[in-house]
Amino acid sequence: MRTSRRWRTAAGAAAALALVTGCSGGPKETGTGGGQPRDGGVLTLALEKEPECLDPHQTPTQSGRLLARPILDSLVHQDVQGGLHPWLATAWTVADDGLKYTFTLRDGVTFTDGTTFDAAAVVANLDHVVDPETKSLLAASLISAYAKAEAVDARTVAVTLREPDSGFLAALASPNLGIHSPATLKGAPSDLCAKIVGSGPFRSEGGFVPQQGITYTRNPAYAWAPEDAAYRGPARLDGVEVRIVPDDPARAGALTSGQVDAVTALPPTEVRALKGDAAFQVHSVLYPGANYSYWPNTAEGPLSDVRVRKALRAGVDWDRIVQNVFFGVYSGAEGVLSKTTPGFDPSVGPSYAHDPAAAARLLDEAGWTGRDAQGYRTKDGVRLKLRHLWSEPSVETLAVQVQAAAKDLGIELVEENLDGGTFVERLLAGDYELIDTSFSAPGPDVLRVLFGAANIPTPERGISNNMARYDDADVEADFTLALRATDPAERLEVYQRIQQRITEDAAVLPIYSPQSSLAVRTGVQGVSFSIDGTPDLTAIWLES
Amino acid sequence: MAGVLKTAPAGNGAPAGAAAGIVRPVLLRAGGAAAVLWGAATATFVLLRAMPGGTADVLLARSTVSPEIRARLIADYRLDDGLGTQYLAYLGRLARGDFGDSHVLRRPVTEVLAAQVPHTFALLGTTIAVTIGASLLLAVVSARAGRLVRGAFAAVEALLVAVPPFWLGLVLLTAFSFTLPLFPAVGSSAPSGLVLPTLALAAGPVALVTGVLREGMLRALEEPFVLTARTRGIGETAVHVRHVLRHALLPAAGVLGWVGGTLLGGAVIIEIVFSRQGVGRLVLSSVQNKDLPVVVAVVLLSALVFVLFSVLVDVLTWLADPRTRQEAP
Repeated sequence: MRTSRRWRTAAGAAAALALVTGCSGGPKETGTGGGQPRDGGVLTLALEKEPECLDPHQTPTQSGRLLARPILDSLVHQDVQGGLHPWLATAWTVADDGLKYTFTLRDGVTFTDGTTFDAAAVVANLDHVVDPETKSLLAASLISAYAKAEAVDARTVAVTLREPDSGFLAALASPNLGIHSPATLKGAPSDLCAKIVGSGPFRSEGGFVPQQGITYTRNPAYAWAPEDAAYRGPARLDGVEVRIVPDDPARAGALTSGQVDAVTALPPTEVRALKGDAAFQVHSVLYPGANYSYWPNTAEGPLSDVRVRKALRAGVDWDRIVQNVFFGVYSGAEGVLSKTTPGFDPSVGPSYAHDPAAAARLLDEAGWTGRDAQGYRTKDGVRLKLRHLWSEPSVETLAVQVQAAAKDLGIELVEENLDGGTFVERLLAGDYELIDTSFSAPGPDVLRVLFGAANIPTPERGISNNMARYDDADVEADFTLALRATDPAERLEVYQRIQQRITEDAAVLPIYSPQSSLAVRTGVQGVSFSIDGTPDLTAIWLES
Repeated sequence: MAGVLKTAPAGNGAPAGAAAGIVRPVLLRAGGAAAVLWGAATATFVLLRAMPGGTADVLLARSTVSPEIRARLIADYRLDDGLGTQYLAYLGRLARGDFGDSHVLRRPVTEVLAAQVPHTFALLGTTIAVTIGASLLLAVVSARAGRLVRGAFAAVEALLVAVPPFWLGLVLLTAFSFTLPLFPAVGSSAPSGLVLPTLALAAGPVALVTGVLREGMLRALEEPFVLTARTRGIGETAVHVRHVLRHALLPAAGVLGWVGGTLLGGAVIIEIVFSRQGVGRLVLSSVQNKDLPVVVAVVLLSALVFVLFSVLVDVLTWLADPRTRQEAP
């Protein structure tokens, strides 16, 4: 399952995301301790960005997942290590050919509108996701192999796939495939954008008001949290009030002046101001998925030569730049995937070491031996010039530093800050040497999105995510193997092999791991993050 | 800025001719408004089509969709029709008041706008009211003051005109919400939530209009009629308010009309800084997402606001300057 924090949002998030502080921790609960959990209270949360639509079947945004999750449960639950656990489905079997999944459903689950959760509800939801009328911008592609679902009996659902997809269960665990009350699915898709009804720990009577937010109230009947959850009763909070506060200083001020209890995505400067103030904590976690990286055009231009790609990778001191730009609070990337991504292969790390001597040697080997008046390397009288496309102003500081480092190598980086439309046009035409973005996703399947030959953006295909325009037969074969793998361990092994191959090919220049963060006032406890990096509102409780 | 249209109000001319006299300017005004709206609609269409990148690509830029959904979007929004066909169909829909559905929000544009317009109009309304009230007061006070005080007023006005509204907004937030918790930081529809955004948005216009008003008053004070009035023994305050101010209103009304027409732009920034709901934030995200139907509707709305302000200017002029009433159309 992939999320779509893509070029614009992704690059923006890169710089805008909050930074880790002393009390940050792994993806598990990172509360500061402080007594027994208690019930009651309303949490006020200021969110930096809102989805255009509340229905996660339709919207692809991170904020959409965050806002839908308290209301919608899923069939299965994925823990932060990538393990799958029963939720609304208590058990499942997969046919040997990987084409048929049979789910046994939990008994006694009711939606907050009073209707009963059963097999028909599951069928209605899956069909709703793939219905062209829904115009799903992400969810349908997460289950692109889906053929049909049938209610065998009230408690059993059989799902047939067109082709094996080892990521199917993980996709079902995503909030994007959360289960709505089927009664609401009969209305217009636009109605779901404002109001959704599920079986989750919270409900929202008023629904989502654009530019304002959403108010949740506790679902007192809730008793079917995921089986791996630490606490499985109804939510401890009476409710949550979410307000949309897009301006960074205003969000920070709202927190420090006590007008809200928690805020998302504080920028580095604001986090620095909060550091050392005992009244606040910043919790953060690395987004799983692909790190913020430069993606070289491997199909055309100077970077189609692997030696030039390797030279750029070795010749720029990426870690030092990350330290400088983000005050040492972001950590440098150690591979294409962030360290919290299930299936991350730590063995590729050393390939990303800084080695300017090797870089110079590689450029010589590639034939860029001449020098022009400005000191740039040339080959046959042509300067080694790379055009870097970006459309998000917040990455400028980093881009300028990379540009300076490349100049020391004799490479000219031409920074082209484009409007969205021109960016898209150039992207589709492959008219660039470098593009930057991160791409968060809860598993290694993101590699297929980013390096699969079927995902090279073209005018016919439209925007797609293989911006490295990478096409390698061995890797393609491995993608197929990974999709067909029935053993999860085997699947992860294949993805590790793919990471090694991509590293050998220098098909990506990873820079740093973006972070998801939640800054809270002291007294807000039980902060944790879901596998997709979004804060988990249902686990939070307030000290009295 | 539309020019000041000289109107012939009933009661000042011959009663019989007045009714006929009012028809032509009203028709002219309506025709002018229609032309402004048509021009705005056409300009929007041309600009959005001339922008690089296909609408479908930009629409789908944040998503991973199958070719079927892509094709469906193109068909739904008729993005594959010829440009001429698209333009005519577009004008036809607008003429019927059908702004279509938002590509991104997936709801009728009229509904999307209707949800945001009251919030923005509340802000614009208080801003205009504060601008008019404060400018009149400050201009009269500063025009009557000595040269030194006038200089100080002018300096502060120059500063306020130069200060970006978002910065002023943040300063106000820091002072009166974060430090002194007098007003809410996070967008609120309560009256208290309007105070700081109004101040931030009105500061520039107040400074501008006060300056123009005062200059007009100082110029008018040199006119012979002031001397005449004074010799008749009218008090100094009455001279300022009843005679001098009236002369100064004409240029100030023109500036106010221009400021009013541009306020919607300032509201975008203010709505973001204060997390207010409103058209400003809507148009920002719509432009970013190339959400054509919403952008068109907002452009037409701002054209309408512009037209309304020029009417307002006409009325003010009519009230301020009897000469405009006597001229036959």
